[in-house]
Amino acid sequence: MLSRVSVFKPVGRAFSVLSSLRITEHTPAKKTEKPEHVPRCENLSDAQTAFLDRVIRVDQAGELGADYIYAGQYFVLAHRYPHLKPVLKHMWDQEVHHHNTFNNLQLKRRVRPSLLTPLWKVGAFAMGAGTALISPEAAMACTEAVETVIGRHYNGQLRNLANQFDLKRTDGTRGPSEEIKSLTSTIRNFRDDELEHLDTAIKHDSYMAVPYTVITEGIKTVCRVAIWSAERI
Amino acid sequence: MFCRNVARNGCKFHRLYHSNPIEHVKPLHIKPLTYGKQSPQYKVLSLALLEYVPKHGFSERSIVESLNKLGYPSSMVSSIGASNSPSFFHSSTAVMELVKFQLVDKRYRLTEGINPDVTSRYKLPSLEHLLLKRLEMDKLIGGQLADLMSQLAVPSRLLFETAIPELHRLSDDMIYFSNEEDHHDSAWYAKRLAVSSTYIGSKLFMAQDKSHDFKETFAFAKEKLHKVMRLGEYYNNTEEFAWYTLMSTVNLVKSQLARG
Repeated sequence: MLSRVSVFKPVGRAFSVLSSLRITEHTPAKKTEKPEHVPRCENLSDAQTAFLDRVIRVDQAGELGADYIYAGQYFVLAHRYPHLKPVLKHMWDQEVHHHNTFNNLQLKRRVRPSLLTPLWKVGAFAMGAGTALISPEAAMACTEAVETVIGRHYNGQLRNLANQFDLKRTDGTRGPSEEIKSLTSTIRNFRDDELEHLDTAIKHDSYMAVPYTVITEGIKTVCRVAIWSAERI
Repeated sequence: MFCRNVARNGCKFHRLYHSNPIEHVKPLHIKPLTYGKQSPQYKVLSLALLEYVPKHGFSERSIVESLNKLGYPSSMVSSIGASNSPSFFHSSTAVMELVKFQLVDKRYRLTEGINPDVTSRYKLPSLEHLLLKRLEMDKLIGGQLADLMSQLAVPSRLLFETAIPELHRLSDDMIYFSNEEDHHDSAWYAKRLAVSSTYIGSKLFMAQDKSHDFKETFAFAKEKLHKVMRLGEYYNNTEEFAWYTLMSTVNLVKSQLARG
């Protein structure tokens, strides 16, 4: 809902460092017709589909959370600290894009969304706004903690996607399908974006937050619990 | 232990990730059945469903007659139900397989030839069309529906591993393959539950319907779907209004604070 309030304008942004926004606009396989003679992949096993099911669900929930965290931070900080406004807006825009990408994948690949979605929305907004109310440094510490966990989480998924999807093809070769390749590159791009946010947070004095260890460790634990439950519920 | 197994098996094929059909070879089996369209089981069960179930109902007799017609030995009836474990509440495993076949095969046939990846959204059938089409598929066995529904509703493995998951897969298919808008949050669940309840309500109505060509059933199904969708609209409008009010209140407070 909040994302609807913000108008997403990728063109003409003052603080655009990455070009990845444009690359992954329509990542899901665009090829609709495939001639018969093209080699086809074997079907995914139950374990592989179950893994992908979890990946899409948890990533969708995670990006929704990130979207709402930045919404909360922006809500509190944008007017009080105008110098942070473009920084937050840039990160928020990227999260909105990530969120939309996973929303599309969820519908296209027919994965059920997390049942706890309303909780993620409220919790994430409260986390963003709450830390921003303490101080801008605390908000940055929150970003740092969240992005650290997310970066590691994405890396785990990438490792699995690289190791476990060596599918046989009808022409005797092996390798991941286009769909898996596209998902991998999407996740890789998003991971890089998240790590860029981590750098941004550190550059904006996240270490100066007053109860630094409490905030970061607390938020990291919350994120890990959220990831664990969003995968399953 | 029983509950755990039931839950695990019920979830096994429960609306998991669907990879695109273009890049992969055609699956051999019609999941969750353990055989494909070319198999003898498929031929026997589809003939039984088409010709003998309307006469003899969901019973071993229908399967045996179908076996005889196709020239198979009637002892094959035991291998037909081999994938089901015997249940105290059901007469035979072969009949359970026939019931399962009726649900799964008709679900697949409902959406055959529709591909939302290729077809543009406005050319896809409507949800109402798919619902009525699925009800129409059961016109032939209209007289046996009461028996079928009671077999499906008996609290047993069949209920938790086949009947309920199949019902939800059907409503999921109906929404995915129609031009109905889909959602990313709780509405995803609400819409599927609404469609499932409409379908079951109409099916129960159909089981007792004596009107010519089940006309009353179709009128009932249309009206029920319409009502359920209107209920969804009421909810959405209320939510939108509440959100609008909240946002305007926040903005009002902000502007008052800015004035000092």
